[in-house]
Amino acid sequence: MGETEVGTLRAELRAYIEEAFLYLHPDVELHDADEFLELGVIDSLGFVELVEEVQTRYGIAVDALEITEENFGSLDALVAFVERRRPS
Amino acid sequence: MCGIAGIVRADAAALVAEPQLRRMAAALRHRGPDGWGMARAAGAGLVSTRLAIFDLPGGWQPMRGERGTLLVYNGEVYNHLELRGRLVGPFATTSDTEVVHRLLEHDGLAALDRLNGQFAFAWWEPAQRRLTLVRDRFGVRPLHWAALPDGGIAFASEAKALFASGEAAAAPDLAGIDEVFTTWGARAPRTAFAGVAQLPPGGLLVWEDGEVVARRTWWAPDYETDGAAPAAEELSELLADAVRLRLRADVPVGTYLSGGLDSSLITALAQQASDHELRTFSVAFHDARYDERAFQQQVAAALGTRHHVVEIGPHEIADGFRAVVAHAETPLIRTAPVPLYLLAQATRAHGITVVATGEGADELFWGYDLFKETALRELHTREPARAEALLDELYPYLDVPAERRGPAWKRFFFEAGAPVDPLFSHQPRIAATGIVRAFYRPELAQALDGINGEDPLARLRAELPLAFARWSPLERAAYLELTTLLAPNLLSSQGDRVAMAHGVEGRFPFLDHRVFAHAAALPPERKLAPGLREKAELRALAERLLPRAVVERPKQPYRAPAVTPFFGAHAPAWVEERLEARALDEVGLFEPARVEGLLRRCRTGKASGFREGMALVGILSTQVWHECFCGTGAADRWPVERAEPRVRLEAAEGITSQ
Repeated sequence: MGETEVGTLRAELRAYIEEAFLYLHPDVELHDADEFLELGVIDSLGFVELVEEVQTRYGIAVDALEITEENFGSLDALVAFVERRRPS
Repeated sequence: MCGIAGIVRADAAALVAEPQLRRMAAALRHRGPDGWGMARAAGAGLVSTRLAIFDLPGGWQPMRGERGTLLVYNGEVYNHLELRGRLVGPFATTSDTEVVHRLLEHDGLAALDRLNGQFAFAWWEPAQRRLTLVRDRFGVRPLHWAALPDGGIAFASEAKALFASGEAAAAPDLAGIDEVFTTWGARAPRTAFAGVAQLPPGGLLVWEDGEVVARRTWWAPDYETDGAAPAAEELSELLADAVRLRLRADVPVGTYLSGGLDSSLITALAQQASDHELRTFSVAFHDARYDERAFQQQVAAALGTRHHVVEIGPHEIADGFRAVVAHAETPLIRTAPVPLYLLAQATRAHGITVVATGEGADELFWGYDLFKETALRELHTREPARAEALLDELYPYLDVPAERRGPAWKRFFFEAGAPVDPLFSHQPRIAATGIVRAFYRPELAQALDGINGEDPLARLRAELPLAFARWSPLERAAYLELTTLLAPNLLSSQGDRVAMAHGVEGRFPFLDHRVFAHAAALPPERKLAPGLREKAELRALAERLLPRAVVERPKQPYRAPAVTPFFGAHAPAWVEERLEARALDEVGLFEPARVEGLLRRCRTGKASGFREGMALVGILSTQVWHECFCGTGAADRWPVERAEPRVRLEAAEGITSQ
């Protein structure tokens, strides 16, 4: 995946996170490495929605063992996970 | 079925003004459109608005007993004929009210155990200056009260009559509202209004000469039985009898037919016991995801009932929403009461004022998905792989299609609390509902933190009965469903309030206390059978009475659209008006920037999930509720009843009937 595509992916995911979750936290400025749980911007059911979104939008079948903070815990993690797992 | 209200003063010489009583009666007119009555005695005033069901020419209230006590009574005692047979006559009326009154005068509160029905009443004993308020076992009928500054007390079926009297002012109770957004309803004695309490289900309150001298429950659910499992045939006989008793009325009785097992079973039993053509009434949705009309039609055709359908399209939910909130007197988190409000309207228009329904079966016989989830989550602690495989077959709370229920969903379920937590069964629902609280203004969140000991879950845990610890996980779940969902929400916002809005009385054979005792004594596998087959005992009975397709269909939760009715070209203008920053600032509970974020998602069709639907309905209903009761000028809008009372009792005078 080229740099432009990664940039697009990052922008897409950021837009989704902002639109779906950050409206409840208007004071939070989210950086790419910030951890969602630590910031409190996504709760347990929010993660369900996030994983579903990733599956649907990028055609990825997420395995239960893959639902970790390493893969879904921050914007950086999400970008890396989707980049690695989405069908080329 | 009726509305009741009254005021008693600490000062026995103080008169209760007639205009006050007339305003209380007017506020409850929808509950009793057939006429009203009033009584005034030393330091006391009582009113009743009547929906005539038994003894149409007689049976007016307030009623004065042989011993000079006064009774205003809302509801029905279905075994009144049997009870009457054991009393010495003569009787002035053929009503159940007189039977209850006679029993109270003879046996006092010991009489309550013999009453089979759904009722709320106020009993005034002038000699002792004693007022006793009583509510039925499951809380089918409402009863609110407010302590007055002079030591007196005001009571009413609905809080609006307290406000109409001028004795209580409407203001939000933050902790009560917080309970709505935690467990789906404010739990007695709490209400959404500060200074207004409600009697708990199976509760009573005694006020005597200036002070409340007793507050206790006279009945509570118990799952500890003497050990003998009921015989298989017992349910059939019991339920048939519960239905037979609930068809008693001097007006025609119909049923609500959802197309599910419970209401279909009640309809079948009602058809067997009825001496006239049974009318059935159903809600159908244009949106196929909510619609059950195919099953409704099958049952109606198989049983030969005269069937009526109310169609819910894109407009009806929004159009009826504000009226429903005004009747419910609480913020809501679902729109599901609105179709039932419209169903009651149609039922009334067809001349039917009494309907039997299947309410209560899911709580007694473990029909809800919540029971299966609890069983699975408990199983998961021992056999995770098996529990995860079984979860795939469940319909979860989130409104997502089956193919999108993935591993994250499972994980949420299985990590939502530990079995040692008394609220284990309800943690997924509590977590899902928590989204509404995320919209609170910071100052509201801080205020709630500062209300010592008022955290809804801490209060719930602290008030669990001692026996709770000895019950099984599913019995605990059933108890929590009865106390947190059935009474505060399903029987109220979705039951009594929306039916009585049109003067229609709902009757619930499953909530006959004998049926409860039977269900509580059943071994677990006769409720939730192996393979997670819900309501096994009921299903076995239904096989003899209903089409196979209806008996075998899986449970479909009753739901209604939450977001789509309020947005788009057809949406009424008041929706956006109530949700704009200025209106939110006026009410002061929700943060405008967050609400605007939700609205953006709603307007663009992105808020399609269950949680955002709850958030929207919660916020919108709170805004509507506040405007209706606490807004500018709301306190001055209560009309005075102008019609002459059918009964007027004045101290030291006889009854004047008109």
